[in-house]
This record gives sequence, C-alpha cells and structure tokens, in this order.
Amino acid sequence: MVDFSLTEEQREIRNWVRTFVERELMPLEPEVLRRERNGEGHGLTPQELHDLRQLAKKSDFWGIQTPVEYGGMGLDAVTTALVEIELGRTFIPFSFGGGADNILFYANEEQKKRYLLPTIAGERKSCFAITEPGAGSDAKAIRTRAYKDGDHWVINGEKTFITGGNEADFAMVFAVTDPEKGANGGVTCFLVDREAGWRSEPIPTMGEWGPASLVFDNVRVPESNVLGEVGKGFELAMKWIGRGRYLLPARALGACERLLSMAIDYANTRETFGKPLAERQAIQWMIADSQVEIEALRLLVLHAAWQVDNGRDSRHAQSIAKLYGGVKANEIVDRVLQIHGGMGYTRELPIERWYRELRLLRIYEGTDEIQRRTIARDLLKGYVKVGASLG
Amino acid sequence: MNIVVLVKQVPDTETERKLDPADSTVDRAASDGVINELDEYAIEEALRLKEKHGGEVTILTVGPEQATDSIRKALSMGADKAVHVCDDALAGSDALQTAYAIAQTLGTLEYDLVILGSESTDARTGVVGAALAEYLGLPQLTLANKVDVDGTSVKIQRQTDDGYQVVEATLPAVISVVEKINEPRYPSFKLIMAAKKKPVTKLSIAEAGIDADKVGLANATTQVVDFAPAPPRTAGTVVKDEGNGGVLIADFLASKKFV
Repeated sequence: MVDFSLTEEQREIRNWVRTFVERELMPLEPEVLRRERNGEGHGLTPQELHDLRQLAKKSDFWGIQTPVEYGGMGLDAVTTALVEIELGRTFIPFSFGGGADNILFYANEEQKKRYLLPTIAGERKSCFAITEPGAGSDAKAIRTRAYKDGDHWVINGEKTFITGGNEADFAMVFAVTDPEKGANGGVTCFLVDREAGWRSEPIPTMGEWGPASLVFDNVRVPESNVLGEVGKGFELAMKWIGRGRYLLPARALGACERLLSMAIDYANTRETFGKPLAERQAIQWMIADSQVEIEALRLLVLHAAWQVDNGRDSRHAQSIAKLYGGVKANEIVDRVLQIHGGMGYTRELPIERWYRELRLLRIYEGTDEIQRRTIARDLLKGYVKVGASLG
Repeated sequence: MNIVVLVKQVPDTETERKLDPADSTVDRAASDGVINELDEYAIEEALRLKEKHGGEVTILTVGPEQATDSIRKALSMGADKAVHVCDDALAGSDALQTAYAIAQTLGTLEYDLVILGSESTDARTGVVGAALAEYLGLPQLTLANKVDVDGTSVKIQRQTDDGYQVVEATLPAVISVVEKINEPRYPSFKLIMAAKKKPVTKLSIAEAGIDADKVGLANATTQVVDFAPAPPRTAGTVVKDEGNGGVLIADFLASKKFV
C-alpha cells in the first residue's frame, strides 16, 4: 500500500512549526535583511536565537531528533523532514535548541557530562572537524596528525570549511594516529576544547553562511578526550556524515515553496503592457515547471526519510534527494528571480539572498558530482537494482 | 471550576474564501479549515483560569467532520476533553440556530463558565454569545479583555471604543473575549502526542437534545439573499514628488476624509 497521508500527529507538528515560522520568524525577516545589507551581522542575533529557542521549548519543541531519554522529542525521520521543510520557508537560519551531534552519544559517561549534556542544554557549542584543504569527500586523505606523549595526545594540522567553527566551544577533531593503517584503523576522533589552544579563522563566502578554518599547533589533549576508541574515528565520521543527508534538500524544498509563492503573487500583480505577468505563457511555464519539481523533490525527500525510519539502507535514496534538491532548488530560485525582474536582483527582497545561499547545496555534504558517483556506482556494481526502490 | 470553551472551525483567512452559489453557504472545500483565531484566546483564558482555580476545560464544537482538526488543536493546547456535535442536519444553520444548538448541548454538560471568541472570522455576526446567554437564561459578559473569577462571581473588563466598562455577574455565565485579553500559547508537543488519548464525545443532534426542525438551512431565521465577491483591488495612484509631495498627500488624505 502506498499511503501519502500524514498522521494526525505529523500534521499537527507540521502546523505547529508552520505557525511558529509565520508568527515568530517571518516578522523578523525585514530587520534581518536590513542588518545584513548594512553589514551588521547575519541571521539572528545570539539573543534572538536564544529567546526563540526558549519560546519553542515552552511547548516542548526542543531536541527534534534528540532521544526522549535525553529530554528531546525523538522525532522520526519523516516528521523531522516535515519540520525542516517548514523551517526552510524563511531564509532566517533557525533550528530548535536541544540538539547534539549524533556521535556525541557515543561518548562515555564522564564525557557525556562534559560535552553531550551541556550541548543539549545549549550551554556549549560543538563543531565537526574532518575536512582539510586536501581532504573533502575524500576524507581518507586527512593529514592532521596526533601523536602520543605520555598520557596526552598532541595534535597538529589544519581543518577547513568547518560549520560552526567560529562559535564552537569544542571541536570533534579527526586526526591520524597511525599513518600505516590510515583510514582503516588509524584515525581517531578527539574532543578538543577551545581552551586547549586551537584557533579559528572565519572564511568569507558568497552566502551569509560563514564556516571557519581551524588551526592545531601542538594542541595537547588528555587520553580521556578520545571519543570512542583509538583508531575507530573513521567509523564515527561516517556515522556523522550519514546522519541525515535528506534534511538538506528538505530545507531547500521549503525555500522553493516560499519562492514559488512569491513568484505567483508577483506574476498576478505586476502588469506589463496592460496585462499581468501571469497571463504570459513564458511565465506560466516557469511556474509550472517549478511546481512539478517541487512535488517531485517532496516525494524524493520523504521517500529517503521513510527508508531511514524503516531501517533500510537509505544512502542511495538520500543521494538522489540531495542531488535533485541541489540542482532543482538552484533552477527554481533562478526562475523566481527572473520572474521578479529587476526587483528580484535587489537586496530589498530575499530572493538574491536565497540565490546565493542555495548554491551551497550543490557543494557541501557531498557535491553533485559525489552524489552522482554514489548513484552510478550503486547501479554499476549492482548494489541497487533499477526499479527496485519500493522493494 | 468547569469551563466550556466554544470552538469553531473556519476557512483559513490566508486563503481565498468563497461562498457556494447554490445555497449561499460557506464553501468549505474551497479553503483549508483552521481554528477560529479568537477561539484560541478563549481557550487560553480558560486554561489560565483552570491553572488558577482548578477544574476542567471542555471544548464544545458544533460543526462538520473536518472540525476534528480544530478540536485536536484545542486539546493540544491543554483542554481536557471535547464534545463534538456533528450532524448533517446542522448544515446551513445561522447564528441563532447555532446558539440554540449549543445551548441544548450545554444542557447535557456541567459548567460554571462558557467562554467563546467574540466573533468568527467567517460570518462575523458576533451574536452567538449574546443569543446563547439568552437561550440559557444566563448573564452575558461580552467583549472581555480581562477576566477575574472570585468564588461564585466573575468580573470582566468589557472593551469599548473609548476604554472599558467593568461588568460583574454571578456564575454560571457566558463570556466572549477579544484578542487583547491574552497571548494564546502554542500547543505543546507532549500534548500533541497525547491528544488522541483525550476523550472526544461525538453527538448527533438527537443525542444533544437538538430539535431537527429548529436547525439547518431550511429552518434558518435569516437568509442570505444575495452576495457578490469583493471588487478587485484597483491600481493605486502614483504621486510624484516635485517639491509638493506633502501637499499632494495631505490633499489625498483630506479627499478620503482621513484628516
């Protein structure tokens, strides 16, 4: 049976987030745009973010995917995707509080007290540091080195494009501890406090999003800060990377919905040569194509999430959703900008902001090309059969 | 203290709302149904009174099957249970008939207070509260922007154009609220997940003690004789500021009698 209906709970959660976005976030949009135009910082201020998270927490919207025993909501993948779609409808970057990187749950009890629980509580901020100038999706090529010195490890190397690296209180750093074994048992993950001595440098980008490069120069961490086991870091890294690729196109889908709605409103009101744009076939086709792609993307995202919930190997479906979402979101924002003409190009409207922001989706967490490689390899090696996605 | 809150499902004001040309009733299929916004304020006030004085909050809805969504939302905000009068015979009932149906249903419930929004965003008659009080023979305290209960009496601030009046009555009473009264809470996630477990009693008109000859379109006391869609918005006038912009704007405002 293929049943596309949401459960009552899913619909209520979706509606809750939709109302929250409309009542709490969208009213802040003009001010956020104004501040960004004037170079007064991007997105919400830390105080605004904190207040909004606390407001949501009053209604138990806290720790979307954090397990219930840690005080979270423990939402399944499909419902989380629905939440992400709604959050994507505003360009204001917002996520609910109470979350923590999935691999922090592999910490031992003592580490959980110092890292996991304060992260869930919002008292500490983490960042995941694997990427290096010479190692992206080819993460096995990392060069950052950690050697043992008594009961400490000494880390040397450079990480780059680290999301949240500028704000983080501690980093989950992946370093080579056994060069001979490399990724096959020679990489270890360390929990490294900022006070241990690493530096972060912001990297300006074409988007409002700003990652960091991290520099480790003889940074010493005690043995007790190894996350998981020595030599088992690469397995943890794979768990982090595979934690929810479907959520990236989910958020972009929300953006596309909002953008298309803007284009429809504009096409209905803007008149050229005595007729609204909506009556021009060139505009109608752009609107129609965008709608078709939005609905196709919705099915791909929810199908990938459904596979996650059902314990299936979802990597192939997640790659498909990520690739399609990245490509189509960029085409849609381009069309919406085109429909708006000069207005779309201005910084009075958020379209150009989305245009810059969505471009990233084709690059981070696996470029389009990496997704295509995965999809093709799965088929050519026979891991996945054509036409078998429903089992 | 037991409080009954009246909840109505209305077409979403964000979408294009239509009347059905066949019988001039609301075309419910044309737009999504949402909880009437003012009813959220009524629920909030009831929950606050319950938190202060104890008791139970019951949601009462007279409306079609789809109204279940609004009932669930009310339960997710914290109401304890709901009564849903759902019967095809009610279709097309006007404000007076609705008040009658609610009054009859309330006869099957125990309550100290009935709270409702001062109007719904669809029909906007704003008379159900007054008519209901009349049917029940209870004091009506309308347009409340503040409610205080003390023992067996209730005191409200009744909002007027110039300020407010303080109105007092003994319980039980009917209170209608305006949006200045409070800031409605969001439903809580835990209550969303638990809403299904809360009792929702579904009643036919017979079970609610409603006389079939007194409700429905055919027996309505008022009739929609004609209707027309709002005229489309016309293009605005562009005023070019050539040093006299202020004068032009003042003239415009004066011509529309704004100043």
